[in-house]
Amino acid sequence: MMVTKEQVKHLGWLARIELSDAELERYTEQIEGIVKYLDKLDAMPLQQVKPIATRKKFADLRPDEPAEFEGDALGTKYRKDGFVKGPRMA
Amino acid sequence: MPLYTLGAGQVAAGVKSREFSAEEYIQQLLERIEKVEPKVNAFVTINKGAIEHARTIDKKIRDGEQAGPLAGVAVSIKDNICTKGIRTTCASRMLESFVPPYDATVVTRLQDAGAIVIGKANLDEFAMGSTTEFSRYGTTRNPWDISRVPGGSSGGSAASVAAQECAASLGSDAGGSVRCPASFCSVVGMKPTYGLISRYGLVSYANSLEQVGPIGRTVSDVVSVLNAIAGADENDHTTVGGKPVYTLQERKGLRVGLVREFIEDTDPAVAKMILRAMDTLEGQGCKCKETSLESVAYALASYYTIATAEASSNLARYDNVRYGFDMSPEGYEWNSYFAKARSSFGEEAKRRIITGSYVLSSGYYGKYYLKAQQARSLLKDELKALFKSCDVLIGPTMPILPFKIGEKIDDPLKMYLVDIDTVIANLAGMPAISVPAGFVDGLPVGLQLMADEFQEQTILDAAYLFEQAANVRGSPEL
Repeated sequence: MMVTKEQVKHLGWLARIELSDAELERYTEQIEGIVKYLDKLDAMPLQQVKPIATRKKFADLRPDEPAEFEGDALGTKYRKDGFVKGPRMA
Repeated sequence: MPLYTLGAGQVAAGVKSREFSAEEYIQQLLERIEKVEPKVNAFVTINKGAIEHARTIDKKIRDGEQAGPLAGVAVSIKDNICTKGIRTTCASRMLESFVPPYDATVVTRLQDAGAIVIGKANLDEFAMGSTTEFSRYGTTRNPWDISRVPGGSSGGSAASVAAQECAASLGSDAGGSVRCPASFCSVVGMKPTYGLISRYGLVSYANSLEQVGPIGRTVSDVVSVLNAIAGADENDHTTVGGKPVYTLQERKGLRVGLVREFIEDTDPAVAKMILRAMDTLEGQGCKCKETSLESVAYALASYYTIATAEASSNLARYDNVRYGFDMSPEGYEWNSYFAKARSSFGEEAKRRIITGSYVLSSGYYGKYYLKAQQARSLLKDELKALFKSCDVLIGPTMPILPFKIGEKIDDPLKMYLVDIDTVIANLAGMPAISVPAGFVDGLPVGLQLMADEFQEQTILDAAYLFEQAANVRGSPEL
């Protein structure tokens, strides 16, 4: 499978990771090598095989109830009026 | 004999009988750490509260209270396992100032058993790596030869135990991350059955594969730590019921299968050592035979598909807004802030996130992820069939000897290939252990033993039998 620079750039954007030109160059080559290796899976006789799955049933789960931590669970100093400050939306 | 050389059992016995105090022991260990850390670099953070904790254990004993089976025992904790009030960095810039407001279940359980957290052990960033070179806090060095890697990703854990900076450690193992460094550092390291140990408070990397695992200098110490941490936890729904208790016993007549594929592409010197280990087990009354595991051929491709896919989703949560490193949100638009902040992930983490995004992309999901999950089923079925005629399967933990720092860092695929023998147990969810098998040119070789799900006692029996007979002892000169 051929991996292109444009693909890696797009994947970087989807994963919200800014990549430098040097990284883009390097990752494209390396990921192509990795993906070629993963293509080994194509050689497997898998038609009849079910994918692995968990044995646990949803009914076994504990109730999803909120619980409070003692003290401050947040590690940022950027705050205002009891809220955490984030970047602007647009 | 200096106190820092003692194993977990000896420490607990000595502290409880007041032969020495936990405080004296911890003091000696801190001096040891100061002496050897410039060479080994096993720790990211030393716990400043360790001495104070030791005093509370000593007081309990003076007052005649129960101090627990691990009373006073110093343990290091891999720095991707949450420790309340002690920063937990995952060796990443993305979490450099993260101080968890809670303890992981395994940490709570160790402390309830009387253990003392001596510090947080170095790792490859977010546990992604096989050498501990991908850490923001510098490479950990192999205590047996400091020009070589200690293995990874729990390299700090294994090196701290080998270098006698603590009695035992907790690592995590998604594809061999406990067993690989245990093998390279000549200590004992175990990856338990998926679901035996709580992952609550373990920072997720590849959550369908990883388990917390104990590391010690002897099988006995691994059993002590395992007994403290194993068992169901309501905070981790993947744990399975009950609270098992493991013992040390010499069991005769175990049926042992040497997996041919594990030996084939292995360094001949390592292979020779493993064949010798099989002879040793046979000499101890085991019934040994050679066997075959054909799906090994697809294991690594399956593993790296699933691991990178899970990594890309698990690491999506790090936005640097609620905790992280100091980067003001002022002047940034939402997306550009995230992309900028997240470019601070290290080389290997970024590579895996992007590879994971690739295999999960629309159009490729069926080609990679789904097939990888099918391959996993196939592998598990083949193993289950083998365990009808074998109690344990053996092979080398690592196909090569510990290599030089920097040797494989620029070639990710070459680095991934060293995990070939360890990923099997993670894909199948089965337990495996690495025990020291001996040395080749002064470099450690580990023997891997694997058993069916929840057959921890069987591999501990086999490992203990081998350990007693092989008598691979000694600590590195540092």
